[in-house]
Amino acid sequence: MSASAKKRIMREYGECMTEKPAGMKINFDEQNMTKWEVLMDGPDGSAYAGGHFKLEIVFPNEYPFKPPVVSFRTKIYHPNVSNDDKGSMCLGLLRPDEWKPPNKVVAVLRLIQSLMVEPNIDDAIEPSIGNEYKENRKEFEKNAKDWVKRYAK
Amino acid sequence: MSAESINIITIDFPDPDHTETIDDSFDRLASNESFEFPVQNIQTLSSKGVERGDDPYGLLYIPALQTDECRDAEKDYVPKNATRLDNLPHDVQYALIAVAPWFSSTCMKEYFATARNEPVKAFIVYQPDPESTATPPETNDKAWAMNDGGSWQYSNQFPTYAVPGASGYLIASQMSNYSGNISTVPHGDSLKQLYPETDYVRLWAKVAADSGTQLPSLWVFLVIVLGLLILIIGATSLCMHVVQRRRRNALRRRVINGEVDLEALGVKRLTVPADYLSELPVFPYLGESDHVEKSMAQASTTADAETSPKGLPLSRRSSAPDAPKSYASAMFAQSTCPICLDDFEPKESQVRELPCRHIFHIDCIDPFLLNNSSLCPICKQSVLPPGYCPSKITNVMVRRERLISRRRAQNAAGHTHSPGNIVARLPGAYDSFRARVGGTTGGRRIFSAPSRTQSRPADIEMSSGTPPVPRAGITAAATTAPEIVAVPQPTQQNGVEECPEPPSDQPQQRREWARQRALALLGNRHGPPGGEEEEQVRSRWRRGLNKIFPGFR
Ligand SMILES: [Zn+2]
Ligand SMILES: [Zn+2]
Repeated sequence: MSASAKKRIMREYGECMTEKPAGMKINFDEQNMTKWEVLMDGPDGSAYAGGHFKLEIVFPNEYPFKPPVVSFRTKIYHPNVSNDDKGSMCLGLLRPDEWKPPNKVVAVLRLIQSLMVEPNIDDAIEPSIGNEYKENRKEFEKNAKDWVKRYAK
Repeated sequence: MSAESINIITIDFPDPDHTETIDDSFDRLASNESFEFPVQNIQTLSSKGVERGDDPYGLLYIPALQTDECRDAEKDYVPKNATRLDNLPHDVQYALIAVAPWFSSTCMKEYFATARNEPVKAFIVYQPDPESTATPPETNDKAWAMNDGGSWQYSNQFPTYAVPGASGYLIASQMSNYSGNISTVPHGDSLKQLYPETDYVRLWAKVAADSGTQLPSLWVFLVIVLGLLILIIGATSLCMHVVQRRRRNALRRRVINGEVDLEALGVKRLTVPADYLSELPVFPYLGESDHVEKSMAQASTTADAETSPKGLPLSRRSSAPDAPKSYASAMFAQSTCPICLDDFEPKESQVRELPCRHIFHIDCIDPFLLNNSSLCPICKQSVLPPGYCPSKITNVMVRRERLISRRRAQNAAGHTHSPGNIVARLPGAYDSFRARVGGTTGGRRIFSAPSRTQSRPADIEMSSGTPPVPRAGITAAATTAPEIVAVPQPTQQNGVEECPEPPSDQPQQRREWARQRALALLGNRHGPPGGEEEEQVRSRWRRGLNKIFPGFR
């Protein structure tokens, strides 16, 4: 990874610190700055409220020309998060062809937060959960809360 | 060529000394008053000098031996009066077939030596056992050992056939019957009525060679087949090379004429060559002047001043960096470098401006354009001029281009409804197609267009072009304003058909419009990582095959 990319990551971390997006904590290791660990609280009012989710943000070598890779380390019942041990997320600006270098991690974090409030059904990676969200919101919320209790406490 | 049978008959032919006209004609004697014998169970010891369709024939005779030892030994196997060369007309060279018993290898050498000096067409040997009627052993059997490493087979210019001992003795004894003048041969009295007394009556044989097991011609046949095959392959290969070359040239022409955009089609991810990059203007960042502030105020009224250069006055830049005013419009929009996120230092930072008027630190943008992409990282507009053609058009590119055009033609013909539906219905099929074409990840690819009902984080697009706004404003706006900007910016020069303006009222229609638009742009954004890489992944034989048959799939 180039020095300029490292510099940019450092800078973005600084920005995250000063802006302090609500309800999240970033563990940053200067030895391994391409892998961030983020602890995100389930947003109030969402089905995930009260849960604490661990996320991983990995910066590719080509950053900022390629998007960072986001994955949920805590299992989450969500249409846009793959329901496997990877917990990967790939939508919106995280998609390689939509990513632009001016985009920042802060934007990524906010995207994740907003998706927890309102999932993007059209881009569901788990279509069954997406359908449930659309057609049986009660059942969805029950399941999501159930998972929060089980995995995210 | 092995012999299938040897047919022995008795013939009468005139004495050349007593006739005016010498010809090769002879009379075959009637079978009831002469010796006729089809020899069976023949073993071919050597097929030297026998051509297809040229069966050896000739008068039977016993070749002379040179040494007394052999002549003595011969008496046990050959009747005394058997036909010798002396019993045939002297002045005419008749075709001969030699007959001899194989009783000792030394004497056999003498027989062969004699036969080699006489017009012998074939040699018939028989084993010394008079009771044997079975087919004699094969050539490499020790019965035929000459202790010369088989060289006799090569020095003889005639074929050699072995017949069973019983047949050999029968022939030899009959040869002793037919060696004298016409009155001494069997049925001589009646023959004398038919033929002059000076005529010769002798045994004559014709070997019927078997054309089936001709090993040498089998090889010839194989070689011919192989040669034809190579010729066909070569011709095909040549044709395909020529065709492929034509296709490459045609593609190059179309690219130069602007009919095809390699990057837009996803045929090839282009990078910017160094010499072209160095032509892009570089100048020191000037900071915000009064003029700039004025134009900023102006620009803020246009809705999407953000990433789109089209919102700005589109006066074309002059190429020299000594006209700073024309850059002002670009600079007001960007006070930070979108790649490193550092602020530009007025009059200090050297920035490079791309044709879309976006500016970057030289150090930040140059490596990216040289190695990764030819698209502006912000607006994804191509840095290369329309009609730019990479110096090397590869066969892989030709193939991809054809595949994509074909696919597009099919889609246009088969599915008149929106391509968005296709994707929605057949994500798998479309995936595999894209994976093949673009080498992209086979991940989920259902392209959703943002709808008005959906909230998007405002920060997504804020960083690049927006005039520096107090941060707080953005944080506040985090989950509010739905945005149009998340729709990929159209790249007008990419040859993608311009979408009509969104039908603003009905949300359903709008969504469909956005979907189509996004889909139309889908191909644009993702050039394959590079044709050569894919080429390397292919197995070696596949690559070899492609070398020989370019354009073969
Ligand atoms: Zn920079
Ligand atoms: Zn641009």
